[in-house]
Amino acid sequence: MDVLFLFTMVIGLLLIGVPIAVSLGLSSIIFLLVLSDTSLASIAQSLYQAMAGHYTLLAIPFFVLASSFMSTGGVARRIIRFSIACVGHLPGGLAIAGVFACMMFAALSGSSPATVVAIGSIVIAGMRQVGYTKDFAAGVICNAGTLGILIPPSIVMVVYASATDVSVGRMFLAGVIPGLLAGGMLMVTILGIAIVKNLPKGDWLGWGEVFASARDAGWGLFLIVIILGGIYGGIFTPTEAAAVAAIYAFFISSFVYRDMGPLATAEGGRNLTLLNKPIALVTAFFHRDTRNTLYEAGKLTIMLMFIIANALILKHVLTEQQIPQQIASSMLAAGFGPIMFLVIVNVILLIGGQFMEPSGLIVIVAPLVFPIAIQLGIDPIHLGIIMVVNMEIGMITPPVGLNLFVTSGVAGMSMMAVVRAALPFLAVLFVFLILITYVPIISTFLPTYFMGPEIITN
Amino acid sequence: MAGHRYEPGGPIGEAVHGFEQTVIALLLGLMTLVTFASVVVRYVFNSAIGRGIENLLGIYLPDTILWGQEVVLILFAWLVLFGIGYCVKITAHLGVDAVINLFVPSTRRIFALLAALACLAYALLLMKGAWDYWAPFGGFDRTAGHWFPTGFEQTRDQAWYITDQVPMLGIFGWLEGAINQGEEYEKLPRVIPYIILPIGVLLLLVRFIQATIGVYRGERESLIASHEAEDALDDAAITTKQEG
Repeated sequence: MDVLFLFTMVIGLLLIGVPIAVSLGLSSIIFLLVLSDTSLASIAQSLYQAMAGHYTLLAIPFFVLASSFMSTGGVARRIIRFSIACVGHLPGGLAIAGVFACMMFAALSGSSPATVVAIGSIVIAGMRQVGYTKDFAAGVICNAGTLGILIPPSIVMVVYASATDVSVGRMFLAGVIPGLLAGGMLMVTILGIAIVKNLPKGDWLGWGEVFASARDAGWGLFLIVIILGGIYGGIFTPTEAAAVAAIYAFFISSFVYRDMGPLATAEGGRNLTLLNKPIALVTAFFHRDTRNTLYEAGKLTIMLMFIIANALILKHVLTEQQIPQQIASSMLAAGFGPIMFLVIVNVILLIGGQFMEPSGLIVIVAPLVFPIAIQLGIDPIHLGIIMVVNMEIGMITPPVGLNLFVTSGVAGMSMMAVVRAALPFLAVLFVFLILITYVPIISTFLPTYFMGPEIITN
Repeated sequence: MAGHRYEPGGPIGEAVHGFEQTVIALLLGLMTLVTFASVVVRYVFNSAIGRGIENLLGIYLPDTILWGQEVVLILFAWLVLFGIGYCVKITAHLGVDAVINLFVPSTRRIFALLAALACLAYALLLMKGAWDYWAPFGGFDRTAGHWFPTGFEQTRDQAWYITDQVPMLGIFGWLEGAINQGEEYEKLPRVIPYIILPIGVLLLLVRFIQATIGVYRGERESLIASHEAEDALDDAAITTKQEG
């Protein structure tokens, strides 16, 4: 029952407005001091080792940095132009293009709210101009934005891999088919609604526009080739791939797109080229924009890692108290099979995803359910994808889904209006969740095909 | 939504603010460059091109940066531990505000005060822990007591502990005389990387004290941000307003 007390304390602190990290940390510290000999010094040590002892987690700051360089208005705009050129002429074209753009942006960024802000702030306004209702526009982007954590690279997957010692590379590969499938399902749904409701369609701009926009967006999209190609080609570790991606993104944004750094000019003006100002090759490293991007990415890293570090202390408490084993044995004794178990995991994560930042929740829940899943013969990679999809849905489920907040901000709508707008597409994601949960091959096919069968098994 | 931005007050506040931001940017930049350099060294210096350059210039290029990974991990810990206090200052730490927003402002203020006290308790406990962990590496004594420091206790000196691979830096040479009985350090002693623990937690404590005073005086509403994209969202909202 001690553990029940622990969780009550965490939730109580959360609800009165204590930062997530402190709620987790303080509860664990009090628990450890009361019930064990653990010294405060060793707790401080685990706080330090949360960073210094986890090479895998080191990928997080680098992915955040790569996505910060790529998140300048310029890249989102180029991606949207390319998607409109590809699918804008279909019925409901702009909405479908919005989903497509979210999918591509997700491949550059590991975060869902960031995807909603970058794509949503442009596409929602555009959709309203050509005659979509605000609700429809907001609903589409709110849902499509959740793909940010499913399509690799994904910060949540890095955290899962680190918490359970599965390979980051496998997790990333496993996310590809589900990501495309979820995006595809959303697009087909929109197409269906568009045909029934006779929603506006754009003009086919010709192959010339497709190629021109693809070439323009391609510099940014090549990032995903570096990351996935580098990892699966055996060239880099995922952490190194992330660092290389960050450096690449810096060069692309400073010297190719030139929307930031020494070669950028004021709104509307043509950006300078390196030939105009070769000194930029040196000054770009010290330019104000570079420093600010580094700072923004650093700030996000600090917020995420503070939560993860404290969640690791809580995880330490749970394993010390042998909670995972207790839960496992009681569940196995109750005769739960894999299916019932997965339903329970779904429910826990859907509820938890309401309150917690996804990566912190994964750190806590993964060690609880992982050993049980292994005993029941569930593939660890499959479990990871299920958890990520659950996080996605948690982000758009009322009352406190993160993406709902962000969308209500971007679209200037009330929370309730966004909730109602998101509901029809939420149903699509639920069907998707069921599909992912009970058809493991969707998640495991690519990693098994490219990297051989999973080795962590019962 | 707790979407208020931090505005530094006065020239000193501005200087501190700028300093903190620069340190954060610098640490992350260094981490990225060192990791990138390790990859470059492994592939370029080891390749035919690398050997060509070696022969041409008659120099020796290293095959790997042995200390690369350890240094990056240390910088990672420095980045986060240095930055947590700063994030308190700008109210960037994430929390759940759905429930407190249901209440009237006066009740909300009581919740915020309670939350601030919890944060203070956290930082104080951690402060003792941070000192206790770091002190032996610097040749100091730990504090006694399980919960609260009740004086100092004799502690086994750990000042001779060194990092695995990080080379010793000349500027820390004085440490050899000060804490290592004049013996030479072959690698960087652990007292250097670990010092960020007491420093970072002290900064966190100071920022929490300031935040508590702020909440008490009614100058700030809460200690939490509701999601990670609040700033970006503010920017987007500003642009939308300007355009339309």
